[in-house]
Amino acid sequence: MIVVPCPNCGPRNSSDLRNAGELVSRPDPDTASLTEWRSYLYLRENPAGWVTETWYCRTGCRRYFTIERNTATNEIRDSENS
Amino acid sequence: MSELDFVSPVASGALSASGGGIALEDLSDRSKVLVRAGRSTAAGTHLKVTYGHSRRRRDGTLICGSRPDEWTLIADPGQGAELLASLPDEGFVSVVDITHGRAMFRLSGPDSVDALAKVCNIDLADDMTPDGAVFSASVAKVTCDLVRSDVADRRTYLISCERSFGRFLFAAIADACAEFGIDVPEDISMH
Amino acid sequence: MSSNRLPIRGGELLDRSTNLSFTWNGRAYSGHEGDTIASALAAAGVEIFSRGMKYHRRRGILTANHWDPNLSVQVGDEPNVRAGSRRLVDGMQVSAQNVWPSLRWDLGAVNRLVGRYLSAGFYYKTFMRPQFLWHNLYQRVLRKFAPGGRVHWKTGTHGEYDKRYAHPDVLVAGGGPAGMAAALSAAEAGASVMLVEQEPELGGHLRWGGPDDLAVLADLNRAVHSTPGIEVLCDSIVTGRYDHNWVAVVQRNHEIAPERLIKARVGSLIVAPGLVERPYVFAGNDLPGVMLAGAVRRLINLWAVKPGNRAVVLSANSEGDAAVADLESAGVEVVAVLDARAGEDVVGARGRGRVTSVQTGDGRTLKADLLVTATGWTAPTSLLNMAGDRPVYDRIAARYFPQSLPDNVLVTGGIAGDGSTTELTAHGRETGSLAAQRALRLRHDRLTQTPRSATPDSALPAAIADNRIPLRRSPHPECYRSTTHGLVDYSEDVSSKDLIQATGEGFDSIELMKRYTTVTMGPGQGKLETVNAAAVLAEARAVEMADIGTTVWRPPFSPVSLGALAGRIFEPVRRSALQNWHETNGATNLLAGQWVRPDHYGDPMTEASNVRENVGIIDVTPLGKLDLRGPDVANLLDLVYVNRWQKLEVGRVRYGAMVAEDGVVSDDGVTGRLADSHYLMTTTSSGAAAVWEMLEDWLQTYRPDWEVHVTPVTGGLTSINVAGPRSRELLERLVENVDLSAGAFPYFSVRTGTVSGVQDCIIWRIGFTGELSYELHVPSGHALHVWESLLSNGSDLGVAPFGIEAQRILRLEKGHYIVGQDTDGLSKASTAGLGGLVKLDKADTIGLPELRAAFERTDLPVLVGLQPDDPMIVPDEACQIVEAGSNEILGRVTSSRMSPTLGRSVCLAQVDPSLASAGTAVTVQLVDGRRITATVQEHHAHVDPEGARQRV
Repeated sequence: MIVVPCPNCGPRNSSDLRNAGELVSRPDPDTASLTEWRSYLYLRENPAGWVTETWYCRTGCRRYFTIERNTATNEIRDSENS
Repeated sequence: MSELDFVSPVASGALSASGGGIALEDLSDRSKVLVRAGRSTAAGTHLKVTYGHSRRRRDGTLICGSRPDEWTLIADPGQGAELLASLPDEGFVSVVDITHGRAMFRLSGPDSVDALAKVCNIDLADDMTPDGAVFSASVAKVTCDLVRSDVADRRTYLISCERSFGRFLFAAIADACAEFGIDVPEDISMH
Repeated sequence: MSSNRLPIRGGELLDRSTNLSFTWNGRAYSGHEGDTIASALAAAGVEIFSRGMKYHRRRGILTANHWDPNLSVQVGDEPNVRAGSRRLVDGMQVSAQNVWPSLRWDLGAVNRLVGRYLSAGFYYKTFMRPQFLWHNLYQRVLRKFAPGGRVHWKTGTHGEYDKRYAHPDVLVAGGGPAGMAAALSAAEAGASVMLVEQEPELGGHLRWGGPDDLAVLADLNRAVHSTPGIEVLCDSIVTGRYDHNWVAVVQRNHEIAPERLIKARVGSLIVAPGLVERPYVFAGNDLPGVMLAGAVRRLINLWAVKPGNRAVVLSANSEGDAAVADLESAGVEVVAVLDARAGEDVVGARGRGRVTSVQTGDGRTLKADLLVTATGWTAPTSLLNMAGDRPVYDRIAARYFPQSLPDNVLVTGGIAGDGSTTELTAHGRETGSLAAQRALRLRHDRLTQTPRSATPDSALPAAIADNRIPLRRSPHPECYRSTTHGLVDYSEDVSSKDLIQATGEGFDSIELMKRYTTVTMGPGQGKLETVNAAAVLAEARAVEMADIGTTVWRPPFSPVSLGALAGRIFEPVRRSALQNWHETNGATNLLAGQWVRPDHYGDPMTEASNVRENVGIIDVTPLGKLDLRGPDVANLLDLVYVNRWQKLEVGRVRYGAMVAEDGVVSDDGVTGRLADSHYLMTTTSSGAAAVWEMLEDWLQTYRPDWEVHVTPVTGGLTSINVAGPRSRELLERLVENVDLSAGAFPYFSVRTGTVSGVQDCIIWRIGFTGELSYELHVPSGHALHVWESLLSNGSDLGVAPFGIEAQRILRLEKGHYIVGQDTDGLSKASTAGLGGLVKLDKADTIGLPELRAAFERTDLPVLVGLQPDDPMIVPDEACQIVEAGSNEILGRVTSSRMSPTLGRSVCLAQVDPSLASAGTAVTVQLVDGRRITATVQEHHAHVDPEGARQRV
């Protein structure tokens, strides 16, 4: 169980939060092609290394925020509110 | 409205260990008001506490900084309307009476910290959660708002949760307290 | 029975004034307080404690501690008790495991006669085929012979397990001299310390040492117990270390539970488990009477047990030499001491049931009943492996050492190197200081980063360098296997011959060999076996030990009972404010998600009919309810619902459906506008939490400029649906200050008013059941009063409560779909028949491109109303709709009930679009294999498709 540094609550067990996945940007739904849209829906980098991801502080402040986490080592180096 | 009895989600009365080491009481009937404000509003200045901290107002109301830009006000039963009236109405501020929406318990005594540590993963050491600290956490798998609010040096936690979880949570905390001398009534025993 | 109990020893743990009675395989025995189960039995002359797993050879004491592979026993209804460390308790009923019919006459021993067929990979090779034999024969027979005790899962009285969290700055795993010293200096430095020792008392090897060792131990014990800030947990084991120093401890010394799992978030973890003595591989090394040097020292010094009468000792180190002295002091005749450092060796032990003679490397045969080996140490590096370390082999010291550790894991004691007691405690103290200092820096960070915490009362402690003087590595001969073959793994009955055979078959990497032969996979998890297995493999491949590597040690460090892992189980249950009433008034409950709620009060068909004919009331509190406030609520609703919301007037409610970004229907419900910028949203009961989190996500990450506050009010508002042709009449008796007439309060409207004296009730007029109906949302503290008022004021109108089952019947008659039942994880809005609702010309709504794409497709399944041609047949839900002449699946029944209103079965079904037009005959395959025909209906609604009943 890793510790996730919530920018509002301080360090918390990951079971107190929900990992909302890699940060992806949402195309304009009115103009995006289906291909662009499905890339947004389904394609992720999934690196063995540093990734920027969104977490939701489920049992704490209920804020979404992003951190940079190394998926190979679980080292975490940054966190900020979305 | 004629005075209707407030029906608590918890049927049990107060439970306490004979040595006074721990006690658990239902405070669900307390008036509770949730205040949420936009970042640039005056509510924060008015309420004078930030997230994670609490203070007691001169009228006895406990003001808790329960989340960023969010406060919970706790007062005696029947004070909901007064609480609502006591709040500023400027900028984007929402005030919701959650008296009926939250069950609330008081867990107190020197053993309360060890009982709570059986059902809650937050570090309850004096420096991490000092008197006055406000935090949210999973207690026996129910998301709760907690306030450490000691009474005359007696360690005290106010624990509130969504009303429908109230009966379960009271029973779960009572069960954790059994080790410290509380006799759990048959009707809420988890075993 | 003979007595092997010695006169009082200086360091013995026994309280000889006590007398504890217990039974072993039904026979009465006694021992003293302080005895282990094994020591009490050994003192009484018991020599055989178990049988080998495969060959069922007799087994005696080998290590006389927690790791002894031969001392797993059943105690009452608790299986797999480690008799080498479990302390005796008065009244224990102890019995041998893995024997049938008895320990003395064990039928499994015939396996020895076929032993050559039970070699490496035997299970893989033998029990694979034919498959039917696996079910009918192999499983049953193997279970009979399988090791391990019996779980009395029906009658178990083993008690409730417990759990707690802890946050020590420093956790010391291992309470020997180095660990105790580390705990002391860490506590002195201001850290909170948890000191965990698997034996019931602290001290490690000092406990069975001489007077000097005991004096040091007494000092350490005094200091540990008088220094504030140290929590001592004996009879407890650190079973695992996970990311960010999340550490699991199983505590056994607690009075309220057989075991308690402690989940600890630790600043610095100090690993100080000491060393585990290794057995020696030679012919007959599993005969009772072959013991490790540590075993005889513990038996003699801790429990005053004479381990034999004539001993041969093979010694490669000072522990062996000390064992010789201990044996002599206990009156055991030491026939010969073979010095492995000088090349002397043992090649075999012989005897039937107990050693009677020993064969030496130089060809002598010595009469003896005890063979003691001291051939070296294994560093139990499990916790270090779990922290990412791959320990490396040192030939000179003949053991593994840590290689690289993260800053928050430190080692001390034997696992780090060798030294005198003074040197070990000095290293421990330095390690404790360093660990405390690192942990206090982390605590300082935590305080700074956590708003609720106190401001740190001092500056960040300075980082100090690791200036510890490393413990030395004493040379030790590499003693692994003699010139003969013997057991490598006692738990799994794997011999060195098996390993060499496996190598020959190509399983010549340590990880493959382990899985193929099961070596190191027993309860000890390789503590005794891993290094010997690697040595045999190195020998077979003629390479250096260092080139073999070791298997990776994973959690748990030591066997853990499943009860401890389960701990206290929390399954939160939600109850509405009316649930007590339901239960005292005959409700049969249903668990729907976390909610416990009434399924019915006796007869759901009658309940449903009463709604159609009179008036019924149902508790629908679990409906998710979200209070929405702010000037941008309509914008939010436009984003998250497929339909439009900008023009919803105050006092009106509207149905909305949600889809996810992939266009799949995710939730639905009714939202009403209570005031200018105040709305109440309802969601499905199961979707309430997800919808709330979803709204917060969009508001926080996508449109932080929008001013909307979302507050869940599900439990705070008790929801009561009053449904039926006489519902208006009933409510008119109770509702104040709201005009309920059809003109003033039309369908899909909302009003706020007083019901039976309860203010601030929200009332909206909707129709899930298809009848005239009002949904009341009542402040929960007063809900019971409203519920009882409805019943007492409506008896002349025929009012009666109805449950979920009646509601399901009513909504199915009306053709209302349920998200997640009539739709699934692939159902797009078009499948659910939402064509009229979805607005594709919005600039932004969740899943917009997928919505547009879905409505261009013609191949998606369609939800239809369906009626079996035989009106008395009610197909089970999920029955397949198939092509008449084949097994091709063309759809399925999603909802199905007998309709009390129509007196026939009614269904909803998802079908292939080719079957979707009204009047199409389809084939439904029932659960029993029969096929029936059914007809697709024009509408989803079977009753009142025009909606006349609800619009009165």
